[in-house]
Amino acid sequence: MKPAPFRYARPTSVAEVVGLLATHGAAARLLAGGQSLMPLMLRRVERPALLIDINRITGLDEIEIQPTRIRMGALVRQEQALRSPIIAQAVPGLAAALAWVANPVVRQRGTVIGNLLTNSPGAELPAVALALGAEFAVRHAGGEEIMPAEALLGPQRRLSPQALVTHVLWPRRPARAGFYEVARRDGHAPVVSSLVTLTGEDCRVALSGVCPTGLSCPAMARMIAQQFPALPATQELARALEEDLTGPLYADAHSSARYRLQVAPVVSQRATRDMILQAGAA
Amino acid sequence: MSDGPMAIRMTVDGAGVQAQVRPRYLLSDFLREQAGARGVHVGCGQGVCGACTVVVDGVPVRACLMLAVQADGSAVQTIASLPSLEGGGVSGGDGLTRLQRAFRNHHALQCGYCTPGLLVATARFLADHRSPSRAQILGHLNGHLCRCSGYANIIAAIESVLE
Repeated sequence: MKPAPFRYARPTSVAEVVGLLATHGAAARLLAGGQSLMPLMLRRVERPALLIDINRITGLDEIEIQPTRIRMGALVRQEQALRSPIIAQAVPGLAAALAWVANPVVRQRGTVIGNLLTNSPGAELPAVALALGAEFAVRHAGGEEIMPAEALLGPQRRLSPQALVTHVLWPRRPARAGFYEVARRDGHAPVVSSLVTLTGEDCRVALSGVCPTGLSCPAMARMIAQQFPALPATQELARALEEDLTGPLYADAHSSARYRLQVAPVVSQRATRDMILQAGAA
Repeated sequence: MSDGPMAIRMTVDGAGVQAQVRPRYLLSDFLREQAGARGVHVGCGQGVCGACTVVVDGVPVRACLMLAVQADGSAVQTIASLPSLEGGGVSGGDGLTRLQRAFRNHHALQCGYCTPGLLVATARFLADHRSPSRAQILGHLNGHLCRCSGYANIIAAIESVLE
């Protein structure tokens, strides 16, 4: 299929985008890599009246080192982040997850922020952003605001249609990281994915595919940190996961909630094993 | 901002092309219908199969997931640019590139519909990965559907050109 007709704008500055969004708001969609939005437009699930192509804005394709954070612009491609030595060193959990996202061609076009904000159920990166405590820099007519990942990727999304997410801010935290997922087909959205990172006592677990949005799992993380460098049993992880579950479960036509709950501790155990075995890590 | 036709210009396999196109016109359709690049095969038309993969300003993209207006001012390379994408040109009496010859020798195509996108993407992949592991090759191939199911032979063909 082909997309429904739309008006097209190609601004060259963030201020211009904010101006367009102030006028058109919910009728507009922002186009960055297009690897999520374009398929939806081709199937006419999305029929924006105005498409705002942000690809020609300069400066948004940078990965910057700040004292406590890594600042990543809205045009940073997934493959660019995956190959970045800065990300490998300072946000290793993101690098570990990115290797499992889609395939090299899609990753060279698709952006990290686009993947995050699409927030598909099961997608790897939103859970990672929640568990690692990422934040977003959001620009609107009133100025810039820093919002926690929870506000944009959690069950209650609070992003105004008049706002543009210009950057994602990742805490700088060298760590051991392990990632594993089960997918129906390689490179497609996983049924369940799990990231485990460990720095000293600080363990984080990011789980996707169990709840409608990504899930940070402090109870599982505590158990993994306590037993390190031993590997917790899947039954122990399953009990800890029960503690971490606070909201509704997710299911689709292919995988029931029960199946996802059974798989999640196994996937998390494999991610933990990879984290433990990672040589030369923090 | 425009909903009417927009003037765009780009180079396609080295030749300049100018046209007036509506914003919703896909790059894949533009390349086939306006630029005469019939080597761009449209398979699924929704970003899944990889058959329409081309290179825009050095980066491989699925042409069905890009608008023609987005490529305004760009240099687009299709399968016709394979000799330069691979870097080695054509050789031997058959006028084929190294990768094309490997695909032929390993019977890595049957109907050939997925082949142009696969060759373009593989040329770019091998430029980035001089000696990829089997796992990396599989990760690259998961972006391409071959309904003749020649994957084993495609893998063999790719591995045969590695140093």
